[in-house]
Amino acid sequence: MNRDRFQTLAEAYGGELHRWPAAEQAAAAAFAAADPAWSRACLAEASALDALLDAASGPAVRGALADRIAAGAPLPGRGRRPRVWWLPAGLGAGLAAACAVGLLVGVQLGDRATQNQAVSTAVADSEASLDFGGDA
Amino acid sequence: MGESDPDDELLSRVAEGDPAAVRALVARKLPRLLSLGGRMLGDAQEAEDVAQDAFLRVWKQAPRWKPGAARFDTWLHRVALNLCYDRLRKRRERPQAEPPDRPDEGPGPDRGLLASDTGRRVNAALQALPERQREAVVLCHYQDLGNIEAAAAMGVSVEALESLLGRGRRTLRAALADLREP
Repeated sequence: MNRDRFQTLAEAYGGELHRWPAAEQAAAAAFAAADPAWSRACLAEASALDALLDAASGPAVRGALADRIAAGAPLPGRGRRPRVWWLPAGLGAGLAAACAVGLLVGVQLGDRATQNQAVSTAVADSEASLDFGGDA
Repeated sequence: MGESDPDDELLSRVAEGDPAAVRALVARKLPRLLSLGGRMLGDAQEAEDVAQDAFLRVWKQAPRWKPGAARFDTWLHRVALNLCYDRLRKRRERPQAEPPDRPDEGPGPDRGLLASDTGRRVNAALQALPERQREAVVLCHYQDLGNIEAAAAMGVSVEALESLLGRGRRTLRAALADLREP
C-alpha cells in the first residue's frame, strides 16, 4: 500500500474503509495509521462525495406493489402436470407402447440427460446474462 | 464462495410454496430492486416494473436454485440489471419518445424519489453518467455490494469495476462541486 493505491481506492470505493476490497482493508488501515494526516484528508475528500450521494434517496416501497408481487408466486404443485384423463382408450394403448420405447431410448440417453441438466442450469443462469452495449 | 448464502434457506421454502417465505423474500429484496431500478433508470414507475419482472424470474428459478452455485443476491442483481438494460436500449431506439439523457427531475405525488434540491441534483448527475459507470456506482455505493459481487453482477473483472467506479465518482464530484461545503 502506498499513497497512489490508497488514493485510487478512496476515489473508487469512497471514504469508508469497510467498503473497500476486503483483501486490502488491513493494509489500508495500517497505512492510514502510519500516514494519518494525508490519509485523513484523502478519506475526507471521498467521504464528502459519499455524503452527497446519500442525499439521494431511492424509491419507496408501496405495500400494494409488495402484495401484487407476492400474489404472483406459484402455489405448490400448481400447473406442473398436464391432465390427460380425457384421452380415448385407444390412444391410451398407443401411449403405453410409446412409453415403452421411450424407456429404452431413455436408458441410452441417460448420460446425455445428465449433461442436459447441466445445460439447463446454464440456460437458467443465462437469463441473468447481460447484453452490455459499449463501455463508457 | 466460502460463506453460506443467507437467502438459500428462504429460497428453498419459497420453492415449496410457503406463503410466509414468499412474503419474507419480497420484503427483503423489493427495496433493493426498487433502489437499483430507480437509480439505473431514473424513473420510479419503471423501477416497479423491473422489480415485478425480476420477481417473476425469481419464482421460476426458486425450484431450480442450487445452493452454493452462486449468491442469490448477486444473481438477482444481474437479472434486474439485464431488465434495466433492456429498457435503456429501448429508450435509445426511440430517442424521440424519451430522451435518454434527460434525468428524472423529481418525484410526482406518489413517487418515492427524493424531494430535496440536493437529492435531485445528485440523481440528475447520476443519470448523466455513462451507463456502465452509473451501474458501478449504484452497485457499490447504493446497493452496498462488495467489489467481487459487483464485478460478478456486471460481468467484468474487479480491475474494470474499479476503473468504472473511479471514473464515475470523479465525474460526479466535478458535477456536484458547487454543493460541497466550503
